[in-house]
Amino acid sequence: MGIRQALRLMTLTAPLHPILVHFTIGLMIASLGADTIGFLFDVSSLADTGWWTMIGALAVTPLTLATGAISRRRIPIEEGPARSFLRSHMALGPVIFGLLIVMTVWRAVFWQDDEFVSWWYLLGLYGVGFVMTVQGYLGGELIYRYGAEVKRAYRKMPVHEADGAPPSLPSSSYAPERDWKAMQKAVHGGTE
Amino acid sequence: MTPIEFLGLYPFQWLAIITAGTTLLLMVDALVGHYRRAFAYRMQYAPTVTGTALVVAALLAAAFPDLPLLNQLLSWAGWLAAATGLVGFGYHFYYGIVIKPGGMKWLLHYLMYGAPILAPLGLTAAGVLGVITARGLAGEHAVFGLVMPVALFLFVTIVLAGAIVQAGILHYRGAFNNPAMYAPLTIPSLAMIAGAWMALAPSTVVRAAFAVLLWMTLLVGFIGFGMHLRGLDREMGGLYLWHVNLLEGPPQGAPGLFIAWAAIGLVGLYLL
Repeated sequence: MGIRQALRLMTLTAPLHPILVHFTIGLMIASLGADTIGFLFDVSSLADTGWWTMIGALAVTPLTLATGAISRRRIPIEEGPARSFLRSHMALGPVIFGLLIVMTVWRAVFWQDDEFVSWWYLLGLYGVGFVMTVQGYLGGELIYRYGAEVKRAYRKMPVHEADGAPPSLPSSSYAPERDWKAMQKAVHGGTE
Repeated sequence: MTPIEFLGLYPFQWLAIITAGTTLLLMVDALVGHYRRAFAYRMQYAPTVTGTALVVAALLAAAFPDLPLLNQLLSWAGWLAAATGLVGFGYHFYYGIVIKPGGMKWLLHYLMYGAPILAPLGLTAAGVLGVITARGLAGEHAVFGLVMPVALFLFVTIVLAGAIVQAGILHYRGAFNNPAMYAPLTIPSLAMIAGAWMALAPSTVVRAAFAVLLWMTLLVGFIGFGMHLRGLDREMGGLYLWHVNLLEGPPQGAPGLFIAWAAIGLVGLYLL
């Protein structure tokens, strides 16, 4: 049990999209924060940070899009609300990439002229941040409400729905549902 | 005219990169479309062959702009691609409309459901862009008797017109089932008018309007990318059955042309 079992379960099938998406979001928000503080307090090192983190966000985003498409490729999702969320999420992805390109070109002009960013630029980037938030929300709905690409449910603690059986895991040493109930009866004493 | 360096690259290096990217998009759509028809004619391989040559030549010219041989190579590859596009236009017109049952009397039907009539001219445009880029990299300030910025603005006007017409036909076929399908007919049309105006009677106001419209056209291209991806996912099975639906859904590379044409205008506007 423990680490050895976890290692045995590790088959490197976890999707990369949720990892990379955090780089896109994190780097863009870091750029936004650095540029805002650099602009307000006249800190040139933060302006450099704003530029390079923006470059990082732009560089990683094609991989984010590609892994998103790969993830979609793995989900045999039927028509319904989840598919609607998925389609909106898919439509917004390239738009965000386009917005990042536009903002990076704009940011490059400031960097090339060795200037601080303008209010207009910051306003635009806050706008992109808003669109990215909507996109993150749609992605969150897909995972946390509809379980898109969540392969197996985790085993819940006994206090959670104590009367119900845990979801079965392929490598689980727990007995199937009927035996689990019998075990509960044996441990806690049956009332049925 | 003093070319302005941007992020370490001169304008014609940027144009060479855009030429490569545009050709790649055109090749993908041509490959998918011709695969769908099972490569019934050997000529259907031509855009892949000449397109690959143009992509390689453009990338080499962008990487080594001072080598005259590579400029020459780009120029040849550009003419070859342009010729291939013209021949393709003839094929699409003859085999896609003329010899079909009903022929020209069913023109609208075949424009919508036959081979996309203007698609091969996209390759011609990419080829001409390659030729213009090669001339620029060679240090020439004019091409086809026009100074470079004017030539680029007219080029953008013409290619945007083609892209708008082709998108209009195919979105009409799709019954404009989503309001976003009107987008390529609106902002790019205004950009096209501003481009022609800018080429013929430039002024500060027209320049500003053209710049804004080009940026918006660029974004329309990215919105199109997203919406075409969404359109693919509206097919039965969606992206889960991508290898089937890629053939049946909207052309995935097509909106990218609006991005490319807008980017060319922006290079002409800001860097030349």
